[in-house]
Amino acid sequence: MSAAPPDSKRELWIGWWTLVVFYNLYGLLFFVITRTQPPPEPSLDPSEVVQWFHDRHYGLLYGYAIVSIVGGATAIMNATLAYSMRRMSVSRAFAYSYLVIYALATLPGMLIMGVACTVGAMRPDRDPALMSWIYDFAFLSFEGTMGVFLIGSLVWMVAVLLDENGVFPKWFGYLNLCNALTEVVVAPAWIFKSGPFAWNGAIAWWINMGVFVTYTVVFLTLLRRMILREDFGTGPLPELAP
Amino acid sequence: MKRADGELLLLWTLPLLGVIWISAFLLFPGFVQPMSPTLSAEQVAAFYRDPENLPRIRYSMILFNWFGVGLIPILALIALQIRRMAHRTPIFSYAIVACAAGGPTIFLMADLFWLLAAFRPERDPQLTLLLNDLAWVTFSSQVGFLIAQNVILALAIHLDRQQRPVFRPWVAHFNLVVAALLIPAAFAGAAMTGPFAWDGVLTFWVRNVAIGLWIAVMGVVLGRAIQRQRSEQQAAA
Repeated sequence: MSAAPPDSKRELWIGWWTLVVFYNLYGLLFFVITRTQPPPEPSLDPSEVVQWFHDRHYGLLYGYAIVSIVGGATAIMNATLAYSMRRMSVSRAFAYSYLVIYALATLPGMLIMGVACTVGAMRPDRDPALMSWIYDFAFLSFEGTMGVFLIGSLVWMVAVLLDENGVFPKWFGYLNLCNALTEVVVAPAWIFKSGPFAWNGAIAWWINMGVFVTYTVVFLTLLRRMILREDFGTGPLPELAP
Repeated sequence: MKRADGELLLLWTLPLLGVIWISAFLLFPGFVQPMSPTLSAEQVAAFYRDPENLPRIRYSMILFNWFGVGLIPILALIALQIRRMAHRTPIFSYAIVACAAGGPTIFLMADLFWLLAAFRPERDPQLTLLLNDLAWVTFSSQVGFLIAQNVILALAIHLDRQQRPVFRPWVAHFNLVVAALLIPAAFAGAAMTGPFAWDGVLTFWVRNVAIGLWIAVMGVVLGRAIQRQRSEQQAAA
């Protein structure tokens, strides 16, 4: 098997670097600039919600403006991950399902939260009861939209487990299951306003985020190894050079 | 019937779509004289309660509700042209398909907020103001998928290294210029007045004219590419 010329992988590297830069930027925007992560308590009363928006006024307005500019980068990221499934010995249905599910996921995954936080921050003198509704809309759309990530992870899991081309190790299939399960345990966030199951709780948020960060670091590493080994054949990937 | 005939049929929906979009744009009283974010809740409520405005708001937004997604077949045609480019993977065409799903959904959300505000104009003015804010912020600031679409297309064209590339290099440059013109609109929520506000020169006029220009230019470029593909297929037959 002859190695493909180095620049033949540029599409894959563009996708991979977009993923790496984006996830770092995502962390910076959500944890540092907008300070919307880790999430605040769901139990704040309306006047505390007004204060919460007041404390983050510029961070929310400018931070989510940047999210609006770069948010579409998810398209090339999800296309790259879908390509990993095209490389597997499975039906194209897996890649197509993953692509569409995650294209939808961008909305509850960050854009709706951006719209809600912007609308909340832009008029600090709005009726506090409505500010409280905006606050719930922001965090529940973000934390409480589960199906896209649940089904998306399961699609990837099944593809990895069925694949005979060795694109990803089988244990990564089960890590997808862990990510899917975090979306199951977050469901009580729609019911509880405090405690471990609330949207900022130990189970609904901290464990969830721990698994998500691990999962993301792992798939970025595995994807990089796939690109390094890629020979654009249709059969098994060649072994990674030492 | 050849495959390209069906594609040309889809492409010819574009001029019709253009007429409908421009008509709906002119019909909506909040666009011709873009509504200012500085209006009070009572003034916003009065805008929706005005018996001259109300039917125009509803009918224009019903038109957008029907035809807002009309651009998706055109984006699908662009994705197919990307598949003809000299690439090693389908990543760029997949990415355009992902944008085609995201962008119109954002627009649909804005459309729903406007229609909801117009459904019961007698509602508490604070609620009408909230719906109006949600509509305008969603419509104005959510340019991410459009920017991504332009940048991805520019990259795909740039990497299409073959004797006769599918699109010429200027199409890539044009897409990058349009992407740059869309960026200021992302800051719509951060400015109540001036060029960045949602009724401002950059956010409203430059952005919407750039989108309109992109649709017109890409329609022509796409039409030429499909024609060329068709004549190549006929020559080969």
